Amino acid sequence: MIRLYDTIEPNVIDEELLKLAVEEQGPQEAAGQVAKQEGINFKDVKSLQLDFQNILRIDNLWQFESLTKLQLDNNIIEKIDGLESLVNLVWLDLSFNNIESIEGLDTLVKLEDLSLFSNRISKMDAMDTLVKLQVFSIGNNMLDNLLNVIYLRRFPFLRSLNLAGNPICEEEDYKLFVTAYLPDLVYLDFRLIDPHTAKLGDAKYQYSIYELKHRENYIQSKLEEEQANIAELEKHKAAYVEYLNGPYLFDSLYLDDIEAAKLAYLPGVPELLETYKTKFVTVCQTLFDYGLIQEEKRKAEVAIFYECLEEALQDNRAIGLKTIEDFEKIHFAALHTIRNANDLQFVDTKLSECAEEISQLFDVLMTLEMQLVEQLEESINSFERNIIDMVGVFVENVQGLMAQCRDLENHHHEKLLEISINTLEKIVKSEFDEDLPDDVRTLFSDKDTVVNAVGASHDMHLLKIDNREDDLITNVTNWCTAIVNKVHDDELNRNRKRVKEINQYVDHLQNELDNLDFGDLTD
Amino acid sequence: MEVLKEKVEEEEAAEREAEAEQAARRAAEREREDVTLNREDLIDLEQKLSEIEVHIPEVPVTFTKSTIDTSTLPASYRTNTAKEQLLLQVADNFARQYSHLCPDREPLFLHPLNECDVPKFVSTTIRPTLMPYPELYNWDSCADFVSDFLTMVPLPSAIKLPEYLFSPTSVLKYQKGNCFDFSILLCSMLIGAGYDAYCVSGYASQDLCSMDLTREVCPLLKKSKEVVVEKEKVVLKKYTVKPPRDLRSKFELGQIAKKEAEITAAEEKKRKEEEERLLELDKPPPDPMRGLRIHAWVLVLCGRREVPESFFIDPFTARSYSTQDEHFLGIESIWNHKNYWVNMQDCWNGCKDLTFDLGDPVRWEFLLLGTEKPYLSLLESEEEEDLGEDDDVENMDKEDEGKNFDMPCSWVEQISISAKDFETRCPQGRKVIQYKQAKLEKWSPYLNGNGLVSRLTVYEDVDCRKAVEVKEWYKNREDLLEMRQVDKVLNLTTEYFKPGHFLALRVHIYKTMIPETDRTMEFYHTARVDGLVKRSETPRSMTEYYEGRPDFLAYRHVEYGVRTKKFIINTADTNPRPMMKITERFNRNLAKLADDDVAERIFVVSDERIQLRYHCRTDYITTSKREFQKRNDVDNKGNKIIMTPDMCISYEVEPREHTKKLLFQYEMMMDLKNEEKMSKHQVWESEMEVLEILKVREEEEDTHNLTISIYDTKRNEKSKEQREALERQAQEEHIRQVEAELDYLAPFLVQLPPGEKLTRWQALRLKDECLNDFKQRLIDKANLIQARFEKETQELQKKQQWYQENQVTMTVEDEDAYLTYCSQAMFRIRILEQRLNRHKELAPQKYLALEEKLYRDPRLIEYLKVFV
Repeated sequence: MIRLYDTIEPNVIDEELLKLAVEEQGPQEAAGQVAKQEGINFKDVKSLQLDFQNILRIDNLWQFESLTKLQLDNNIIEKIDGLESLVNLVWLDLSFNNIESIEGLDTLVKLEDLSLFSNRISKMDAMDTLVKLQVFSIGNNMLDNLLNVIYLRRFPFLRSLNLAGNPICEEEDYKLFVTAYLPDLVYLDFRLIDPHTAKLGDAKYQYSIYELKHRENYIQSKLEEEQANIAELEKHKAAYVEYLNGPYLFDSLYLDDIEAAKLAYLPGVPELLETYKTKFVTVCQTLFDYGLIQEEKRKAEVAIFYECLEEALQDNRAIGLKTIEDFEKIHFAALHTIRNANDLQFVDTKLSECAEEISQLFDVLMTLEMQLVEQLEESINSFERNIIDMVGVFVENVQGLMAQCRDLENHHHEKLLEISINTLEKIVKSEFDEDLPDDVRTLFSDKDTVVNAVGASHDMHLLKIDNREDDLITNVTNWCTAIVNKVHDDELNRNRKRVKEINQYVDHLQNELDNLDFGDLTD
Repeated sequence: MEVLKEKVEEEEAAEREAEAEQAARRAAEREREDVTLNREDLIDLEQKLSEIEVHIPEVPVTFTKSTIDTSTLPASYRTNTAKEQLLLQVADNFARQYSHLCPDREPLFLHPLNECDVPKFVSTTIRPTLMPYPELYNWDSCADFVSDFLTMVPLPSAIKLPEYLFSPTSVLKYQKGNCFDFSILLCSMLIGAGYDAYCVSGYASQDLCSMDLTREVCPLLKKSKEVVVEKEKVVLKKYTVKPPRDLRSKFELGQIAKKEAEITAAEEKKRKEEEERLLELDKPPPDPMRGLRIHAWVLVLCGRREVPESFFIDPFTARSYSTQDEHFLGIESIWNHKNYWVNMQDCWNGCKDLTFDLGDPVRWEFLLLGTEKPYLSLLESEEEEDLGEDDDVENMDKEDEGKNFDMPCSWVEQISISAKDFETRCPQGRKVIQYKQAKLEKWSPYLNGNGLVSRLTVYEDVDCRKAVEVKEWYKNREDLLEMRQVDKVLNLTTEYFKPGHFLALRVHIYKTMIPETDRTMEFYHTARVDGLVKRSETPRSMTEYYEGRPDFLAYRHVEYGVRTKKFIINTADTNPRPMMKITERFNRNLAKLADDDVAERIFVVSDERIQLRYHCRTDYITTSKREFQKRNDVDNKGNKIIMTPDMCISYEVEPREHTKKLLFQYEMMMDLKNEEKMSKHQVWESEMEVLEILKVREEEEDTHNLTISIYDTKRNEKSKEQREALERQAQEEHIRQVEAELDYLAPFLVQLPPGEKLTRWQALRLKDECLNDFKQRLIDKANLIQARFEKETQELQKKQQWYQENQVTMTVEDEDAYLTYCSQAMFRIRILEQRLNRHKELAPQKYLALEEKLYRDPRLIEYLKVFV
């Protein structure tokens, strides 16, 4: 590399270079003149060629947002870098450079054709996101491990692959291996793969491929399962009752409750716990089911609201379109007559008539819009009322069910306290003959400790139940306010957009009329 | 000077041109006048012609006994079996009792004479037959066939039962019959097909009896009832917006509505009156013999073959009527192949009140008891029982007679229709039906060279003088023309084609076949590459509709200007009409943004303008527009202006950055210029295609070839030849086989005792005998030929002698006769000579062949092989 630097001065991608390249490769002849007149925006450039420029570092390309084709071949680039913002790139040529590893391509998800020919790459990786890759050329590199080809199995659209000139090509089974592991490949080293080779390769690597496939399938199915679970959980979360369809909440109560664990050693407590658990879980399940039902109801409500909203908007739009269509028919006819008329008086009257008509159209459209706003306001308000009511009822019921949980906890607490105190008394009277772990026994040194321990456990449980309840209620109220706000905001935006559109249109018409006027006078 | 001269020449040329132009114009005017004159003349002529009326004296079609050739009829037609005799006695007895009990009723139609003057009971005339044609499995097609196949012959007397009733076979053979013949034939076919059908003898209206359909609207003209789609009631949803408040005065609205209602009511009344008036006009004149006219028709009862309701079929017209129809005025009796029932119900109100519960003896008096009774609905039977008691007494003796007596088998031979007759259908393959203001003509397929199978002419008035519309249906045409409809008022011709033609034409509506006139062509767009659905033309425009194109083009409209005048007579393709404006509309391409997706593109060729209108975004009410003005100006410095901002006026729903750029606009304009060229080219191609289609159509119309199915063995010449060749081959093969099987040893083996094994000596003798015999036969044959030869030569010599003797006294004719005889005799002699020579040549070979065969014969081989 040092040798290279000795002879060639590395170049930097700067404004001047880019401008020159863009101008050279931009539109030609007449279009080129036009382009020159107003200058070319880097943002609009679709393809760029920067070959044989002795570029060392890719830089300053962030402006070319819509670039789809970039050629950086025959430079001295050492690192793939600075391409992050070119997300629309489809075609990337980095051949004949000094790149050592594949990197920095993660954002180029639209890439279909990638050439890294004649570089110093020794491993294929870091291309996981290039799922659309079709043509990949990595010949004349330093790939030395044939197994690295398996990496390319993740590109389902890969049809053409060039590996020629790598050390792996020396290997005996190179062709068979590649064709066997990449069955969808059509061209290898720019030659059509003949079916005979494919068959041979298949036969040879049948078993290892089978294993590989099995593994891949297994991973795939695992992934799918996980995704399904996540989707299910998402659904529950949308209903704000996640982890309530089972003993999750109950388990979480006892998760880091040391005292409770200790107290569980007391006689009678496990049974007590068991009954407590079953009761608690049933309540949770009721809550869960109720939550899902309510979620469905809310969804239906929102859906019907949006349906009605859409209908109203469509109706209104249809009327608007019709109005404009009718207007345009008359208006254009009028403009035509004005253009062809030669009597100044007549033109003047016609012009004023047209202006009058335009203002009338404006009035009509605005009235239509105001009408719609009024109608929608009513609907939106009633929707808001209903959805808030619905959420209110839901919250109330949730609170009721949570209260039941709390009651159960209280009940359990009382029972536990009773048992604990009894045990304490027994221990004090030395009647307790079952052996307890030492740390449990230490609890029963005096009454305060026991009561405190049981109380602490109880308080903690209550706190957790309260937290869960709070979570649920805040989430659902948040959702409610969010949706109501969204509806209001959408309506506001819509209204503004429409008013802007009407104004713009009317301005355009007026302008047209004025221009016409001007043109006539000069003629 | 030369310049001057040139100028003069130019002027002269111009003058000449002007003169020529004038002359041409004058000629054109004259022509136009001629045309108008001609047209008036034509109308006049038409009127005058329509006034002339010709009454063709109708030759009454008759079908009497004398026309039938009775000699070939089988015995069952000429005699009665014992059982039939008995049946006739029973019937006579029944008739006597009937006339005694109901003296005021007409006699029954029980046993008319058949074509051999033998009385036959009507039930036995029905011969249930299932036809081998699948088309004749349903009642409607059967009735159609009968009505088409037979020619109607009126009854000898309209109010008297006929004396004769011919067998269905004769009726089919002569293709003529009266209503009874029609009914019997149809009934036979229907019963054969499994229907519960009966022949009905009764009374019907005049129209029905005389097969007069002139008061009926043609079934082809009846419009199918429009299915009224019930509007789905809009369910008011919870959040449906309330309609804006109506600020108009309720009172005023009410007043207006009232007024409108009044006006509509008045109109309605007027319309109704008019309708009534028309109906009055339509009514037939009162018939003095109403209710007396005898008619026969077919009754199909519900139950069998999934017939949901009983109905009548009029065999003349093949129409079905409900049993309550007012055309049917009364029923005397009904019968099928098993029994005979007399109607005991009162027919004062036509057939409207009749019930067809044949098991009810009060309403239907049966002739034979023993045959299986049609159902008797249980509910009614219980009610009727006590009512029918007194009748039972009367029935007693009849029942005794009828007990255990089955209807004898039909005396008629099996009914058969040949495939040719079935296809030809109508007598001579042609049938004309006159409907109200319409005439329907039918032909059998392939009868007309142009494939015409039926023609419906609709007239303006009841007199059928002036045709309004002519519809013609075709079959088996090579150009797949299915129907042609000519509107005589608008002079419009509409042709409908079946799919499969290479032009993919579906409908063609035109006035004339001259190009660049009003016409509309519809296409099977799925069969076309360009997805063209419809193309309509006027002299000054052309509109095309497309469907399913990848470029989303849906509509193209071209306006033409006036063709520039040139004096050389130009054909349409060398001097195309100038295009003034091309409008193209596109469907929404969802892959593009609405603001980039052109909805309408107008190339104003005359004005050098291009207008674009884009699709509307889903939530907007205005659409983007863009207008390009093509200009090839030069600015004040002399540079060519490539693009200036005022060349593109655009309105954008939502202004975007890149569209403001001149480069963008310039590129777009360049593209549009190309597109314009393409569009123009496509329009030109369309014009060419129209010319091509017209040419092809004219050619096809001139040749009108008919296609012949490969399954049509009669008409398909090729397959016929092939089949005949195959048959011939088969026959030859057969002959050869017979020859091969000819046992030459048989006559000699017979002499030996059968069953015993041959000895060698016997075998040898057998062989020798056989050979000797064959030798003898060969010699005999040679001798025979020789004898004939000699005889022939002797005769010839005699004749020659005689000729030489009488040569002088001979007439020319005799001489001629002699000469012909001579040449014939010489020919015979020569043939015989040849045969003899041939025999001589072949005989030894044949002898050797037989010897060889005998050596190989399996029966002799074991004895003879020693010597071989």
